[in-house]
Order: sequence, then structure tokens, then C-alpha cells
Amino acid sequence: MNIKSNRFRTLYLSLFFIILYVPVLSVVLYSFNKSSSTAYWSGFTLDWYKQLFNDRVIFEAFKVSIQVALLTSVLSAVIGTASAIISIYATEKTEKTINGLMFLPLIVPEVALGISLLIFFSALKLPFGTLTLVISHSLFCVPYVHIMVQLRLKEIDISIIEAAKDLGATKTQIIKTVILPLVMPSTLTASLLALAMSMDDVIISTYMSGPATTTLPVHIFSMMRVGVTPKVNALCTLFLLGTFLLIGLNQTIGSKGGNVIEQKQIR
Amino acid sequence: MKKIKQNLPALPILAYLIILVGIPLLLVVILSFLSRDNLGNIIFEFTLDNYKRMFDSVYLKVFLNSFLLAIFTGLITLFIGYPVAYFTAGLNQKTRSLVIMLIMLPFWISSLLRTYGWSILLGNDGLINNILMFLNIIDKPLNMMYKFGTVLTGTAYMLIPFMIISIYNSVDKLDRSLLEASYDLGGGKWKTFFNITLPLTMPGIARGFTLVFIPALGLYFISDLLGGGNNMFLGNLINNMATRGRNRPLASAFAIGMILLVLLVLFIYSRVTKNNKESLYQ
Repeated sequence: MNIKSNRFRTLYLSLFFIILYVPVLSVVLYSFNKSSSTAYWSGFTLDWYKQLFNDRVIFEAFKVSIQVALLTSVLSAVIGTASAIISIYATEKTEKTINGLMFLPLIVPEVALGISLLIFFSALKLPFGTLTLVISHSLFCVPYVHIMVQLRLKEIDISIIEAAKDLGATKTQIIKTVILPLVMPSTLTASLLALAMSMDDVIISTYMSGPATTTLPVHIFSMMRVGVTPKVNALCTLFLLGTFLLIGLNQTIGSKGGNVIEQKQIR
Repeated sequence: MKKIKQNLPALPILAYLIILVGIPLLLVVILSFLSRDNLGNIIFEFTLDNYKRMFDSVYLKVFLNSFLLAIFTGLITLFIGYPVAYFTAGLNQKTRSLVIMLIMLPFWISSLLRTYGWSILLGNDGLINNILMFLNIIDKPLNMMYKFGTVLTGTAYMLIPFMIISIYNSVDKLDRSLLEASYDLGGGKWKTFFNITLPLTMPGIARGFTLVFIPALGLYFISDLLGGGNNMFLGNLINNMATRGRNRPLASAFAIGMILLVLLVLFIYSRVTKNNKESLYQ
């Protein structure tokens, strides 16, 4: 490639990334603005953060979200890993059925999935709250864990399993001592992904929240609709920090499961 | 017998999926054929009214609106995203992984935050208007919020990483020797691109389009925050019917309509990529 087209490439990519990140950065910027309007910049302040920390409702919503996200991520990690391992041991037909069903929550638009669960849980007379939130969130998280662990399983060198067999290991032993340790990094990465997706979900949570269990995104969404103060910006900025901590955590957990950011591409 | 034993552990997984995905979706289908009384209680009587109402001109317009939004989102993300994917694939190893990280990073940032960012930029007293007025390019704020284009911008912005990564995976797999062969045979840059690169990356384009189209139909918080009440889309409509309107049967019928649109797109996708073994989510 010649210099001219190289320059165009750099220009195009830079421009693209500026547009990609300016909206995010402007939210952060205005969280430090004294004025509550975006019309002018009236000086630096941390007042909005102070207000945020004194807001009980937001704190409660945050607690619900964290609780739901942690439970969802553990539940999805267990179910998704189990389903991936089980499906390679099952017949080909069963494996295909499981894979097909796993795609359903990914291809049905979230609104439709939300409505279907709303109808289902109200028919069962299940009270809406943490339980319904965790179950519904697990539905769109389990498929990712399943897919990511399945990809990892396909990479495993079959001779390792055969060696274990030759040495007299039973199926359970093989799963416990060979397969699980090998897929663990993928499971961890996928469960972090589940954590992030659960923390971010607006649509399904809107239908699944109970009167006393509003999640943070649902609350932020209603704040944004009513009219916004930079308190929302401050909240979003803290959220962003939390996200970066999560990614940093993943980078340190290990590189075997693949980069957390790149893994999300299967979504 | 051996087969049954082999499949036994799969039962709980199948049960989990069938009970929590299959049955609820089946309930939606059933409910879409029922009606409700004035209080919002469901009446168990078969009716096709909910589906008939879909053909009211008001609702047809909503369908059209959503369909156009999803199609345009697909096209915009394709035209902006293709060069990004193409250029990225040509970078050296180190820069490339950095660039891919930058493309994927927004996925991890709250989607509400990313939507809200646009209303800060595009609002009447937003950043863009302020800058333009400061530079004396305009003297009155431009009205950029609450339009179809605003929703389109927000939706395309939200979903473009899917498109880029799908195309990138195809471009990355491209056999470079084919390109060299084309150059050797005197094919120009553009000719090579249109005759070789583009057709070979078609599966990536189709996959990206599908991955962008499906969520674009239903991301109602974007149209709520950026479209105001001026533009009704399928997602908002269904959401309003189910929550404020308390008309679950009607909401169900529209949800089925939405799922049918998705199935149509998936059908087209499977046709386009018939000879290709890549699956949608890999």
C-alpha cells in the first residue's frame, strides 16, 4: 500500500473512533459541570456526585442490580458450562437440538422475549422480583456461556482425553480433572460478560422488576425520561469506571480464556 | 438403550430451555388469539381481532417505520463499518489488536449512557449547537432531536460494532493470494475490490446485517430517549400496549408480527449464505 492510501486509512479510522467515543466522553464531561444545563460550562464541580451518594432510591436500585448480576453470572456460568459439556457427550441430534434452542433467546427481539416471560410468570403467579430478574437474565446469558465454552471444548486436543482414558479414568474423572480445568478460563470470561449484560439490561428488566426491586438501568431510564440533571451523568460515569474495573479484572485473571473484549464478538 | 443413557444428562438442560423459552413463546402465540375486557382481564375466546388490527393504517405505519429503521440501520452500519473492518484487517498485528479492542469496548459501556450521550450532543442546547453558534456558523440552534434521523443515528451507533466484527472476520479470512493474482493479471484496485474482495466477504456482510437488523427492531429505549413521542416504532408500541395499555393480547399479536419479521430476515440470510458453513453466531 502506498503512503497516500495509508494516510487515508489512518484518517478514516481516527475519525471513526472520535465519533465512537465523543458521546461517551461528553456524558463524563458534563458530570463535572456546575450548571444543570448543557447550554454552557459554568465551572468544575463534584456536587452531582455528592447528590448521587445521598440518593437512597439510586442506592437501593444499585443494590438490586448488583445482587441480580452476581446471581445471574454464577447461575449462567454453571448452566452454560454444564450444557456445553453435556452436549458434546450427547448424541449429535441432541446436541443440535440444544444448540438450536440456545439460539432462540438471541434471535427473538428482547421486547418479545420480555412479554413472553411477563405472561409466563404472571400465569404461574410468581411474584416479580429478584427471582424473576435472575431467571430472565440467565436466559440471555446462558447462550453466550454455552457458545464460548463449546468453542473452547472444540479446541481441546483429543489425545489428552484419550490419554486419560488409557490411564483408566472414568468419564466423571475426565470431566472433573481434565475438561473442567481446561474450559475454566472461558467460563470465567463468559460469566464476566454475563455480569456486564445483566447490569446493563433495560428491556427485560422493565417487565421483570417488582415494586420494590427496580434495577439500576430501569431507574436510570425513568430518570432520563422525566428530565435529566447531571446526576445521571455522574451515575453513568461511575458505571463506566466500574466497567473498566471489570475489564481490568478479566485481563488479570488470565489470558487463556481469550481477551474479554474480543470474546464478546460472538454476541 | 445406549442412546437414552447417553442423552439422559441433557434432559435438565432441555427442560430449562423448553420451560423458560419454549413455553413462554407458546403462551404469546395463544394469548395473541384471545381478547380482554375493559379492565384488562383476559377473556378465553378465540379471536383474530388482534391480528386484524395490525392492518389499521396507524399500525401499518409503525411496522413500516420499524422496518425502515432496521433496514437503514443495516445500510448505514454497512457503509460506515465496511471500510473500518477492511482497513483494520490490513493493519500490523499490534495496532490491529488495539483497534479491535477499541471497536469492542463500547459493548461494555452501558447502552443507556451511549444513547444519552447523543442527546447531550444533538439537543437544542447541546454540544454541537453550542459549538456551531460559538463559531458563528449558525445563529439559531439547529433542531436535531426527536426525529427519525435521530433514532437512526442512535440505533446505528449502538449496533455498528456487530457489523464491523462480522465483516472483519470475513476480510481476515480472505485468501490474500487471490488478490495478488488479480493484481498480477492487471486488475486495478477497484476492480479487484468489486470482483474479488466484495463477493468473498458477502457472508460477513449478510451476517452483520442480520445481527444488526434483529435488535434494531426492538431497542425501544433508543427511540424513547432520542425520538420523543414523534416517532412510533414497533418496540415502543408493544411496550406501551403491554404496560400502560394493559392489553397483553394485542401486545402478543404484535410481538408475533415482530418475530415473523425476524424469521423473514433469517430466511433470507440462510438463502444468501446457503453455500457457506459459517453460522450466525460464530
